[in-house]
Order: sequence, then structure tokens, then C-alpha cells
Amino acid sequence: MSETTSAAQPRPAGHRLRSARRAFLVGLLVAGGLLMMVPFLWMIMTSLKARSEVFSIPPTLFPSTPQWHNYPDMWNALPFGTFFFNSVKLAVLNTVGQLISCSMAAYAFAALRFRFREPLFGLLLVTLIIPFQVVLVPNFILYRLLPHPTSASGNWIGTQEPLWVGAFLGGAFGTFLLRQFFLTIPRELADAARVDGANPWQIYLRIYLPLAKPALATLAIFTFMWSWNDLIDPIIYLRDLPTLTLTAGLSLFQGQYVGRWPLLMAGALVSVIPMIVLFILAQRHFVRGIAMTGIKG
Amino acid sequence: MTVGRPAVRRRGGGPLGGEGRWALLFLAPTLIGLAVLSAGPILATLAISLTSWDLLTPPKLVGLDNFTALLSDDRFMKALRNTFFFTIVSVPLGLAIAYGLALALNQRIRGISFIRTAYFLPVVTSTIAIALVWQWIYNADSGLLNQALEVVGVSPQKWLSNPTLAMPSIIAMSIWQGLGINVIIFLAALQGIPQELIDAANVDGAGPWARSRSVILPLLTPAIFFTGVLSLIGSFQVFDQIFVLVKPRPTDATITLVYFIYENGFKFFKMGYASAASWILFLIVAAFTAIYFWSQKRWVHYQ
Repeated sequence: MSETTSAAQPRPAGHRLRSARRAFLVGLLVAGGLLMMVPFLWMIMTSLKARSEVFSIPPTLFPSTPQWHNYPDMWNALPFGTFFFNSVKLAVLNTVGQLISCSMAAYAFAALRFRFREPLFGLLLVTLIIPFQVVLVPNFILYRLLPHPTSASGNWIGTQEPLWVGAFLGGAFGTFLLRQFFLTIPRELADAARVDGANPWQIYLRIYLPLAKPALATLAIFTFMWSWNDLIDPIIYLRDLPTLTLTAGLSLFQGQYVGRWPLLMAGALVSVIPMIVLFILAQRHFVRGIAMTGIKG
Repeated sequence: MTVGRPAVRRRGGGPLGGEGRWALLFLAPTLIGLAVLSAGPILATLAISLTSWDLLTPPKLVGLDNFTALLSDDRFMKALRNTFFFTIVSVPLGLAIAYGLALALNQRIRGISFIRTAYFLPVVTSTIAIALVWQWIYNADSGLLNQALEVVGVSPQKWLSNPTLAMPSIIAMSIWQGLGINVIIFLAALQGIPQELIDAANVDGAGPWARSRSVILPLLTPAIFFTGVLSLIGSFQVFDQIFVLVKPRPTDATITLVYFIYENGFKFFKMGYASAASWILFLIVAAFTAIYFWSQKRWVHYQ
């Protein structure tokens, strides 16, 4: 298209062409960025409209009078406060579980020497590739066999336990991510501590964990996000209103409020806002986590 | 692997040798998880797939009946076809768009980080919330898309209930949602390209298009390979979108493999049948991933 522009021969004509192309590109990017935001914008605007207004012809972007009451209406239509609390609780439990169990495994793979280390790590990586849906049925059957003191079924089905206990039993993604980071920690640090009489557990707690804070933050954010957004597990395991998460609650809400777009959009927005805030606050960790697993892999 | 640290090795012992006892301690949660939640259950799925089991009565051994039944099950074949269609369209298209975007976003412009954030927001939002908005955008009566098309004189479409349009509509939404993650990986890879290489290409007089193809693209192949794996695996797991956007019954136009597994396992409680379908999903993903990894010799250039 513009073979005349080349940095080697900075001619005025080339400059002008290049900055024109640049302006065009920026325009395109901004337009694309806006296009990416349209669904969010539409969500916000619809959530503030009256029910009659959403079908008005010609369509309006802004509500004529913002219907703020849509939010309390939505919030009270189903126990959304409870759903919100459940989502937070499960996300925190999952995050804690993954941080503990993955960092322990990652330390073993990165810093300890033992037989079968490579094949074990290989097996773990294979499970990274297996879609978890493949094991939905055996996991369901397992949780159905486990006794539960307070559940109506007598087993774990219908309780929140299946949604977080597994997080304490390791995970391929987190272990891989943290191992990659642990490998960058100089061995001399651990060696020096060992000379001073520290055992592997102390080395893990006092040297590896404190130095790996950025990677731990990345794993924490990803786990929180996955737990928060998970839909299939809550709809399989949860039965009663007081146990539902926001995603499962929204799905129920969708079935009960068909066509009531302002309320549905208000519900969707409420479920989305915590993740957007988290992302904006921790953008750095997101980006680094993705780049770290992707590039050094 | 590492050269001698005899003092440590002598102290060790246990079934794993070396620092085996410590390793066992650190790996205990992971080993339990592998045995009961991930690797072990893969084998359990195979065993269950050979039975007929509704959870209420004891499982009956039926051999390969579930598999033969699947092959003559119209709904399963449609699920297979839809999943393949989704993969074959959404993976390459998603990668190509992300590649172009990353090239465009990889420059010093004021406010560029704001634009990048815009592209990434859909990645962090739940699919159910996103699918709810898109259901509204795709709404046949007065959804945003039909209203926008009306302005340019295109007649309104039933985006989600028309069998030929439903799957492409879902693909469009999914690409929109997943774009950001690929863009970020590509951007990270682009920032790792030494400036001298790009400068050298400039001296050769390469224009932006030639430069991208002959200098940048080969250097980005590891990142493309990696995003390809992620997208490939993700595309075989499509469920949330289908669950929220369209109820696949009765049209079948949008049923996917995972939806099929969900429906048979957790709505009809046909555990054996769902397991057989799961095992087929596993084989397909394994085969695709193996072929993909094998292919990397031919097109991925590691430095």
C-alpha cells in the first residue's frame, strides 16, 4: 500500500503519508474499542429504562427518565444479596485453596529433587489440556458418595462443598504458573538458607513465597475470576435458593423474568461490576499472568 | 539432573528418592487431586461409559452399547457437527482478528492503554452476563442489531432462532468475548521482538505489510501456537453461551458436545451415556491437540 514510507529515507512526503496512516489507524482502533464497549453501554442504558421504553421505535440510547428503581426491584425479586455473598465466599475459598495447594506443588517441582519428578509434572500438564467437562460425571458420582451432615440429600449434592473443596487439591494451571516463576528464583538463596539449617518447608515459607508475591497475585486474580464466573458447576450441584451463586441466580432470574430486559440487564450489570473493578485495579497482574504462561511456556 | 549434592541425597530416601519425603509432603494435595478429581476420573469415565446407570438402580454392564447408540443418535451427531463448526470457524478467525489488532495496538499513542482495556473487558466478565446482553442485542423484535440494520435497509433477522444464523451469531459473540486474551498474548510477544530486527527490515525498505509477514509473523509463531492451543481447547468446551442464549431444544441447531453431556448426565441422569459422550470429547480433544503439537515443527519458529 505505502511502500514509499520507510524510516531509512525520511522524506517529508513519507512523513505526511505515515502520519495520515497513523491517524487512520488510531481512528480505527478507537472505533473498534467503542464497538467492544457497545454491549456494556447497552446493558447500562437498558437497565435504566422503563419496560415500555425498551421496545420504542425508533430506538433511544438514553432513557427518557432513568428508572433507578429497577435496581432495588431486581435486587429484591430474588435473594440477590445472598447470591452475591455466596459468590464472594466461594471465590475467596477457591482462591485460598489454589494459592496454598498450587504453590506447594510448584515448589516441589521447581526446587526439590525426587524420582518421577518429570513424569509427574508431565501428567499434571496433560490434565491442563483435558477439558474438565470430561470428568463431570465421575466427579458428580464421587460427591454423591461423600456423606454430609447437614444436607437434605445426606451427601454433597445440593451443598456448596463440591464448588470449593477441589481447589485445595491443586490445579494444573496454577502449579504451572507458579513453577515457572519459582524457577527464576536463584538457587543460591535456598542453598544459603539450607547451610543455615533451614528445611525445605522453611525455605518454601520464608524464601519462595515472599519472593513470588507477583505470581501469587496473578494466580489469585485468575482463580477469583474463574470461580466468580463459573456457571456449569453451580447449576449442576446447587438446588436451593440460599445456596445459589450470582451466575446460577441470574440463570434462574432469566427463566422467571423473560422479556423484562431492564431488570435482566440490571442483574447482569451487578454481577459484572465486581470483576470489572477488580480488573481495572489489577490489570498489571492479569497481563503479566497471561504473558508469563504464554511466552515462557 | 543437577550435579551432585551428596549431603542432601543421603539424607533423603522414601519411595521417591532424593528429597522424596519432602516432595511427598508438598505434593500430597496435588496427588490426591490427580487421583480423585482429574486423572483418575478420566479412567472412571471410561468404566462408567460401559454401563447403563441412572444413579437410582445399580449400574448394568452394557459393553459398547452406549457408543453404538451415540453413533446413531441424531442429536449427538448434530452436537459433534456444531462443535466442529464452532471450532473451525471461531479459532482461526479469532486468532487472525487478534493478530491484526495486536499489531495495531502495539504502538505509542496517548490513551492506548485505555483502548486495550476496552478490548480486554469482555474477557473478565461472566459469559452469562455477556450472553444476556447479546440475547437482547440479537432480539428478533427490537434488538440493537436489527434496529441498526434497519437504518441501512436490511430486514430484521431472527438471529438466534433461525437455524442457519444461530451458530454464526454465537460464534460472533464468542469471538468478541475471547479477543482480548489473544491480543494480550500477541502484544507481550510483540514487545519481545528486538527493535534491531524491525529496524533492519526498515532499512531493507520493507513496507508495513511485508514487514509484518516476513519479520514479525515468524517471530510471533510461538505465541500464535500458544493462543491456538488455548482457543482450540476452549472451543471444544462451549457451554455457557448455548445454555444462556438458546435452549437447544427443539431445534438442535446449536447443541454442542458439552451441552449434550450436561443434558444427558444431569437432566436425564443417563450417566453411562453421558460418560460415553465425555470419553469421545476427550479423544477428540486429545487427537486435535496431538496433531496440533505435531504440526508445530512445520510452522513454529523458536528462536
